[in-house]
Amino acid sequence: MLVIGLDGATWKVIQPNLENLPNIKRLIREGKAATVIVKGKPLSVPLWCSIFSGKTPEEHGHEGFMINDQLLHRDDIHLDFIWDTLAKKGYKVFALNIPFVLPPYSFRVQYKPVGYGLPETEEEWSEELEEVTKCARKILEQKPDLLCVVYTLLDRVQHYYWGEKEVAEWYQRVDVKIGELLKYDTKVIVLSDHGFCDFNEAKIKTLKRAVMNGRAVKGDHHEEAVIITKNIFMPIKESEDVYYAIQNEFKV
Amino acid sequence: MDRDITTISIPKPLAEKIRTRIQGTGFRTVSSYITYVMRQVLSKVEEKEDAKPREVFTEKDEAEVKARLKSLGYLD
Repeated sequence: MLVIGLDGATWKVIQPNLENLPNIKRLIREGKAATVIVKGKPLSVPLWCSIFSGKTPEEHGHEGFMINDQLLHRDDIHLDFIWDTLAKKGYKVFALNIPFVLPPYSFRVQYKPVGYGLPETEEEWSEELEEVTKCARKILEQKPDLLCVVYTLLDRVQHYYWGEKEVAEWYQRVDVKIGELLKYDTKVIVLSDHGFCDFNEAKIKTLKRAVMNGRAVKGDHHEEAVIITKNIFMPIKESEDVYYAIQNEFKV
Repeated sequence: MDRDITTISIPKPLAEKIRTRIQGTGFRTVSSYITYVMRQVLSKVEEKEDAKPREVFTEKDEAEVKARLKSLGYLD
């Protein structure tokens, strides 16, 4: 089984560009597509945590990368994630570049996240796309029971370029990589943690200021997240349902 | 999972030693004893591998992450 996370991916970009996103288009045709409405704040850290732990943000209480000026690490988060649950049952599971901590977390994989999981430049976005895909393919060659992998770059691209042609171009590049991974598995979930919208339309501003790395911020997070499933029995209505949908496929 | 099995060769004296050892225990075959022991060993090894040492993340790394968070506007 394969779970591909696309940080910040939104139907607002996918829908009008579907003809140029052949792999996502095919996945939607062969599977089911839906929108998950995030009820709390549309922030990546609590949402990725919920997606892979099955706990709501209120239940797990993990809100951000830092507490009292200290970066949090995996050991600071007292939760069993889906890879922990399944590994204990003897399944061959891997997690790659999951951004609920910085640098993003990997399970049973040696991987050094590009830009510590905060790729800032176009070179780093390209590098993340290449490196994550390369590593994911290496894992998939071993025929794992489950691989969970997250690409973070679209979030950053949309903060900088929302409303411009660059956004659709980066989605196309991501779509090519999704196509490379989809060849390996038939049970698939492709999802985002939150959606995206114009900076001025965002109900909650996720950044402390409207300038990112010296550039004006054009987009911000939106509560409508993307979910596409293929050969997954349980419907996913909330972020935390992803954990149970995966668990259900393994009958544990 | 157990129905999907394969044959593994081990030295005969070792197999004999195990056969003697499992007499009067709940293990009915040498294979079931070896399967049990190997599962125990591998789960211990994997537990160790999963426990990532914190030292991998140096102070320099920590400073770099904070600098990036700041330049991206996540920190004041």
